[in-house]
Amino acid sequence: MSDIVIGIADLRVSKNVNDALVTYALGSCVGVAVYDPVVKVGGLLHYMLPESAIDRNKAQGNPEMFADTAVPLLFTSCYALGAQKRRMVVKVAGGANLIDDVHCFRIGQKNLTALRRIFWRNRVMIDAADTGRSCNRTMRLNLDTGAVFVRIAGGTMEELK
Amino acid sequence: MIDRIVRSIENIPAFPATIQKVTELLSRDDYAVSEVAGVIKYDQSITANILRMSNSAYFGVRYKIRTIQDAVTYLGRQNLIRAVQTAGISRFFAGTPKGYVSRAAELWKHSVAVALMSQILSRKIFNREDAILYTASLLHDVGKVILGEYVQESFRIIEEMVTKEGHSFLEAEEKVIGINHADLGGKIAVHWNFPPEIKNPIAFHHNPNRLDKADQTSSWLVYLADQACLMMGIGGGTDGLAYRGLGEAGKMFNLKTRDIEGAMILLTEDLERARDLTDIIQS
Repeated sequence: MSDIVIGIADLRVSKNVNDALVTYALGSCVGVAVYDPVVKVGGLLHYMLPESAIDRNKAQGNPEMFADTAVPLLFTSCYALGAQKRRMVVKVAGGANLIDDVHCFRIGQKNLTALRRIFWRNRVMIDAADTGRSCNRTMRLNLDTGAVFVRIAGGTMEELK
Repeated sequence: MIDRIVRSIENIPAFPATIQKVTELLSRDDYAVSEVAGVIKYDQSITANILRMSNSAYFGVRYKIRTIQDAVTYLGRQNLIRAVQTAGISRFFAGTPKGYVSRAAELWKHSVAVALMSQILSRKIFNREDAILYTASLLHDVGKVILGEYVQESFRIIEEMVTKEGHSFLEAEEKVIGINHADLGGKIAVHWNFPPEIKNPIAFHHNPNRLDKADQTSSWLVYLADQACLMMGIGGGTDGLAYRGLGEAGKMFNLKTRDIEGAMILLTEDLERARDLTDIIQS
């Protein structure tokens, strides 16, 4: 199995069952893994910020950076490989925050709120999630089975189901 | 244990004299290129690193830099200081033990990212670059280079204090090991005879509010730059984001969330251009 690494503000999709999509060091950023088990098509997104309105120019060139431009792109890229929305399994990890972060920088939380709003509007259910708290996470999607694994820095890989 | 840790500071090599000499020469209005180049060439590892970094897009030089003479001529004062500091300071991060990170390169990448972010914030707030702030930022986590070994030994206890008892990672270090990485960094800064402008932001980068009001500014900038990089997961370690957010951080410089988000976007661009800086340490 070959690992395809997804960096910050990036996404990859694949229909090669020998691939695994991996993203490291999700802090406040959010990882979204989607998978259609019938056609074995999946994708993994690592976005950084909630709203593209903060920098429209950036969103043009790097839509993977913002939840509102990245999530639609993740789904449509999977459709292009034959996936169908009603069959997609959706898993989410990341969105961590500082401890008692009472000030205005709760970017992890804002990232998750933005995601929920997008999913709500588009009637997408989250099947499993490991979010919040104050840890770094690695997220992995195996294309052969659709299994998603999350590892908290310093810990071991655990299946997210 | 604490005695052993503090004693191990004595084994840290001296801070490269080249950095100090070059910074001093460049602080004059009429520095001679040949003199500066002569000082740099004396230090082989700094020379090699500078030549590797000088053509980095981050410095934006239009000429191909092949020699130290070229670098001194074309980089410009601010960039040259930054290049010399980055080139020289990297040696202390080459052997970072496990504990916080699985590879030394990760803590170095985090350090460079915080240094770049400190300049983005300084430009935004004060409209200027700040070489002293750059040095302090690059070194803010130097305490981890020593403490990593001890964090690894006690990791399960520290982790439990953080996840089950609600302590910050800094507090857990203090309770379990007897000293936290910021305080230890401050002691290393003293060992290197650094002035307070560099020592304080290292020692107080998680709690600048503990300094006298008049001395807080650059510590807040390092704090903010560090927090932003932790949120972005850059060089993310086992400590993750388990540090206390301080309410006054934004008010201090009248920064809104969107300002921090904007700075994070700029940092992704800077990091892209500064790959030659982060790549100095690869393993």
